[in-house]
Amino acid sequence: MADSKITVGIADMKIAKGDGILITYALGSCIGLCFHDPVFHLAALLHVMLPLNMEAGRTHPLKYADTGIRETLRQLEMQGARRNRITVKIAGGAKMFDVGGNNSLGNIGQRNIESVHAVLNKEGVRLLEEHVGGTVARTLLFDVASGKACIRSYGKKDIIF
Amino acid sequence: MAIKSFDQLNSLEIDTLREIGSVGTGNAATALSQILGREVHITLPEVRIMGYNEAIEWIGGPESVTAGVLVKMGGQINGIMLSVQKLPFVNLVLESMLGKTVDSYEGLGELEQSALVEIGNIMISTFINAFSGLCGVSIDLTVPAFALDMQGAILTVPMAEYGGMSDYLMTIGGNFVYNGQQVPCHLLLSPDIRSLNFLLKKLGVSDG
Repeated sequence: MADSKITVGIADMKIAKGDGILITYALGSCIGLCFHDPVFHLAALLHVMLPLNMEAGRTHPLKYADTGIRETLRQLEMQGARRNRITVKIAGGAKMFDVGGNNSLGNIGQRNIESVHAVLNKEGVRLLEEHVGGTVARTLLFDVASGKACIRSYGKKDIIF
Repeated sequence: MAIKSFDQLNSLEIDTLREIGSVGTGNAATALSQILGREVHITLPEVRIMGYNEAIEWIGGPESVTAGVLVKMGGQINGIMLSVQKLPFVNLVLESMLGKTVDSYEGLGELEQSALVEIGNIMISTFINAFSGLCGVSIDLTVPAFALDMQGAILTVPMAEYGGMSDYLMTIGGNFVYNGQQVPCHLLLSPDIRSLNFLLKKLGVSDG
């Protein structure tokens, strides 16, 4: 893979056109979403932390799955991508700590996954493949030209999908 | 006035939190010294209020693997307490307790991990006991949970838990010093905003 890597932080999104690598590090319960328009070679990588935006001020749309996905689609479409061509691959939503009992702590990952599914479905965007859940952190790389994604985890083999 | 976000804390409030951190980490260091049979000191505790990506840089980058012990607080104060144990600290513990060291985290077996959980749990419980005694609040703790993974993902646990309330992460914590050398082990207390307001009001430093 090429050297030029564009880093996507937490509650962040970056768009790239043509070629290059988008990368987001250490997804725990957060979810990384790779958007791709193959005809336009346009790609976006989004890193969301929480399922639903319930903030009054809405200062930080990219933090949440619902507003984050809509904002990303809006920006991609502004640059010429077409909704019916855009495909998505996702990774993340793990449960880092199991504190036991009836605790909301471990559920954020699961709630993130469900919210991402629901919003993608509602927006009419195709989900191609996902590697979600489990208990390990994932670093997600996305190759803009090919639309291939790669997951790095501690003590595991890389997954290319 | 009650705060809505961690970045609204004033300097008096931050000083108060630092004092709580000082008492908590001091007690934890004493407990640790007793278990290890070696004198362990603590650096001056600090209160940090950081943006998410800033916090990841502060802990030393997202992808480095580290051991984390997490306990959730309930009762009058809700929050998360984390013990982030880097390799030099891990080896200090293992050498004292089990008479061995490891080259990397891959060398940690079940017994070693269980020792780390126990140490983390004792330090956290000691910290919380001192904290609840000092402030006159009652705090319940869950059993400790352990993770050996990228530290970025470990640190996002308190962020995600309180992310709906604030764009910042607040941590109260310190580092240990053994034999004149810093042994990186962060003890991080992250209360939620409502509990923080309750605490500051109870201690009489919140002007509301």
